[in-house]
Amino acid sequence: MPTKIETRLGTIRIERRLTYSRLASAATTLTAFLLSLLVVAVILRVIGLDPARAFAVIGEVFLVPRLLSESVKQSIPICLSALGLAIAFKMNYWNIGAEGQIYMGMIAATGVVLLHAYYNLFHESMLLPLMTIASFILGGAWCLITGILKAKLNVNEILTTLMLNYVAILLVDYLVHGPWRDPKGYGFPLSIEFPDQAKLQFLFGSPACTGLLVAVVAAALVFCVLDYTRLGFEIKVVGQSLRVARYAGMNVSKIILLGSFLSGGLAGVGGLSIVSGIIGRLRPGASPGYGYTAIIVASLAGLNPWLVVAASIFFGGLLTAGGALQASMNIPRAATQMIQAIIFLFILVGEFLKRYRIVFERGGRT
Amino acid sequence: MRSARISRRRFLGVAKEAAIGGVVAAGLAGAVAGYLGGASSVAPETKTVTETVTRKAEAKPLKVGYVYVGPVGDYGWSYGHDRGRKWADERFGLPIESFYLEKVPEAEVGGAIETLIGKGADLIITTSFGYMDQTAEYAEKYPDKYFVHISGYRSGAAGNAPQNMSAAFAEFYQLYYLNGLAAGAVTESGVVGYVAAFPIPEVVRHINAFVLGANYAYKKRTGKNIKAHVEWIFNWVAPDKARSAAIALIEEKNCDVLAFTEDTPSVLQVAEEYQKKEKKVWSFSHYSDMREYGPKAHLTGQIANWGPIYLDFYRMVSTKSWISVDIWGRIGDYIPYRWRKPVEESTAGQPEGVVYLAPLNQAIPEEWRAEIKRRYEEMKELLFEPFSVEGNLGEPIRDQSGEVRISGSERADHQMLWSMDWLVEYVEEPLPKVKEPLRQAFPLPFLYFPRLGRCSGLGATR
Repeated sequence: MPTKIETRLGTIRIERRLTYSRLASAATTLTAFLLSLLVVAVILRVIGLDPARAFAVIGEVFLVPRLLSESVKQSIPICLSALGLAIAFKMNYWNIGAEGQIYMGMIAATGVVLLHAYYNLFHESMLLPLMTIASFILGGAWCLITGILKAKLNVNEILTTLMLNYVAILLVDYLVHGPWRDPKGYGFPLSIEFPDQAKLQFLFGSPACTGLLVAVVAAALVFCVLDYTRLGFEIKVVGQSLRVARYAGMNVSKIILLGSFLSGGLAGVGGLSIVSGIIGRLRPGASPGYGYTAIIVASLAGLNPWLVVAASIFFGGLLTAGGALQASMNIPRAATQMIQAIIFLFILVGEFLKRYRIVFERGGRT
Repeated sequence: MRSARISRRRFLGVAKEAAIGGVVAAGLAGAVAGYLGGASSVAPETKTVTETVTRKAEAKPLKVGYVYVGPVGDYGWSYGHDRGRKWADERFGLPIESFYLEKVPEAEVGGAIETLIGKGADLIITTSFGYMDQTAEYAEKYPDKYFVHISGYRSGAAGNAPQNMSAAFAEFYQLYYLNGLAAGAVTESGVVGYVAAFPIPEVVRHINAFVLGANYAYKKRTGKNIKAHVEWIFNWVAPDKARSAAIALIEEKNCDVLAFTEDTPSVLQVAEEYQKKEKKVWSFSHYSDMREYGPKAHLTGQIANWGPIYLDFYRMVSTKSWISVDIWGRIGDYIPYRWRKPVEESTAGQPEGVVYLAPLNQAIPEEWRAEIKRRYEEMKELLFEPFSVEGNLGEPIRDQSGEVRISGSERADHQMLWSMDWLVEYVEEPLPKVKEPLRQAFPLPFLYFPRLGRCSGLGATR
């Protein structure tokens, strides 16, 4: 699908590249990254700040263990959601609803904790496994709703997934303002605090370690599903061409349902990692938009599960670096967000250049 | 990598019509413009770290880190805390270095605290309710640092956090009662309104205090009970919603005095617009002096200065005399002369202490200005409590269902104020209670935990 843009000087054509070597790909990303740093440096210099010091502060986030652990903690929900999105996007299924699926995962995890705390239905060692299963199922079910609508009625999933986000957020509001409110919480909209056995640090001492392990395992699973199973193959075929999938006799509806369930389920576990690893209870607005961040992360990583892990840690680091920059150099929060945005913009442009070639042709309009 | 291609192509396909150069140029231009816009909205001097150098130049400065939930440029909560920070820094006589992180989402406060500790902060002050649990967590992790959390209930003093953590709050309910007196004194329709943020105990007790005050003055004037209407906007900062709620209260409910819990002067601005149209509508200041937004419509209001509380904690840390405390700054706290003064010498309407009354409008009748001053002075010594029979013209205080909540010689205590979940009988709208109607909407047993639902609120005090 070459796109032509005709100008007075000549024609600019955007053509799809057929091949692009791995080395060239890495070089492009690196160049884009360095260029973005250069632009950031120029802007910092213009407003009278020392760019070298700012970069040192950002780099420190990835070198100082305390800050790195914080960054990893932040990156876990982003990573899990982005892994889920990678599956959906491979299927050409535009799931914008990771945020809502995160919230549903938080609801499920909290529900399990409350069942334990108020009815003592099972032993406390069962808490984390049950929470994980419940958050996966509820997050998955939330996305499955849109999958059903897509598969049976061909409803555009971008709209349904996005709109269900608000439903999930309001459902959390209802629960913490109402039935799930902590009776000893002076009426504040919070659930009870999770017992230690329901917190991620219960396993390996720190939520970052546990979370990282979970993220790597999840990435491995996603990688295996996509590259070594029939479902993964079918997901990719559906993503490339629905028509081909149908000609090949695949049950497209079933693939969409399964794919959307897996995608939402992973985001649901991301929600678990927020309530269980970061906050320790359910409360309104618990996720500051991690589900949307995950969309960027998944795209930056080129939907590769391993790169998703790396990209989300990088992103979590930038979130932490935002604070460090404010504290060390008195850069306003808006400026740190802008630095992040410039880096992402350049990397995205780099991704574009990997996929497309720009051809300039001499000669005016014909 | 190969298999990623199709999806990625579709993702980027959105931009395929645009030439690359255009994308980069537009992005950069936007980014630069956004940055400069952002930078100019925050005056550079507000970002400057305050340093006071004394003769002992070699002394190590006290380092204090603040975490704000909003931008310091808002007109309400975070702005107020930043003013408090500067106030305390100026008055602290020893070398001091304070720094802050603004707009920190509640889930990211851990990273913020680590950053501040990395900067060498001795004292960390977190200023949003949502930071409470993680502040306690880091207080445990760093036992040699000191932590203050604003607006929560966890502290070493309360026994639910480590000893190096304190809790503090600037409480307005007494001032809301005085606002109510002013409202009851000027209202002609006998209907007052309240634009309210969230149905949480803090806001509920402020509504109740305001309505009780309004009823006191109005009933004493006319013998009739006040009527009050509440509009919930479910937001702390939402100028547009506050605005339309204020207009609805005036136009549909016939309210002519509006109190509010929302961090911008929007409600006061609406009242001022009506004043300009020769319709008498009144409102108040909230957190800072907002008179300039409604010079005519401004009756009085509640103002907070967090500075004295912060200065107190600076002193404790620098002199190594820390004790964990749970402070509610009320009228009379942190003022030099903590005794009741005669009405003619009253300091009501002047800045003092942690919370104080905004200047009183001359439109309030003389005898009611005197009454407001009298109550203000009495509350310096806690001689008068709005939530008492005395605050309701000798009548017991009833809730909307008619149940008597306070009678005889009872006064509200900390527990009742902290967990108030009922509205006084003069309020027309019920409190948005999600329990019963939504239980019918969600018949699933697992969505409803009866043990939780039943014991919310006041159970423990009564």
